[in-house]
Amino acid sequence: MSSLRLLSSAVRRASSTVPLGRRGYAEAADKIKLSLALPHQSIFSSADVVQVNISAATGDMGILANHVASIEPLRPGLVEVIESGNTSKKWFVSGGFATVHPNNKLTINVVEAAPIEDFSPEAVRANLQEAQRVIAGNGSEEDKAEARIEADVYEAIQSALSSK
Amino acid sequence: MSSTWRAHFTFNRYSQICARALRQSLKESERVKAEKRGLTALRYQHWEHGEGGEQVYLVPPEDAPKAPAA
Repeated sequence: MSSLRLLSSAVRRASSTVPLGRRGYAEAADKIKLSLALPHQSIFSSADVVQVNISAATGDMGILANHVASIEPLRPGLVEVIESGNTSKKWFVSGGFATVHPNNKLTINVVEAAPIEDFSPEAVRANLQEAQRVIAGNGSEEDKAEARIEADVYEAIQSALSSK
Repeated sequence: MSSTWRAHFTFNRYSQICARALRQSLKESERVKAEKRGLTALRYQHWEHGEGGEQVYLVPPEDAPKAPAA
C-alpha cells in the first residue's frame, strides 16, 4: 500500500518536471509521429507531421500532436497528411485502423491505399454503375451485399475526387 | 448504413472486398500493378491421425488445377 503511494507521488513529481508545451491554434509547432503502413508498403515511417485528417467510422477527424489515445476504425475514405506549412498530401484508403498512442505517435494501418491522383474517374463511374446494376438485379443476397459494399467504396472515391 | 454485410461476411472479407473495389478504380497503369496484390494462391489441407486430407484451394483457380502430389 505504501509502495503504491510512493509510486503515485513519484508520478506526480515526474510530471511536474516535464515542461508544459504551449499550444497555439494558429501554428502547431508540435508534430505527431505518423506511421502509415500498408501490407506491402510503408508510406510513412515515424515521420513528423503537423496534422492528419482521417475518416473514422464515427466521423471525420483531424489528429494533431498530443492527441488523446484512441483506436478508430476507418471508413473507405481520404487520409490527408499535412506535413508542414500549407501543403497536404491525400491518399484514398480502403479501410483499416488508426491508433493514436499515448506517446504522441499515430499509427494508421490500412489494407489498400493509393494517392488521390492515381484514380480514374471513368473507371469509378463504370464500376459504380455495375455495382448498382447488381444491387437492383436478382442475384443472391450475398452478391447484393458485396455489391453494396463496393458501391459505398466507389461513392466515397467519387466524393473524394470531387472534393479535391 | 451498409452494416447489412455483417449477416453474410466476416470483417476480414469486408476489408478484402473494399480493397478489391479500390484496386479496380485505379488508373490503368497502377491497376495492373495493384491487381497482383489481390491474388490469393493459398491451398490448405486438413491432417488427421497422421494422414493428410484433400488439398483445398482457398480461391479456386479459373483453369483446371494441376493435381497436387499426394
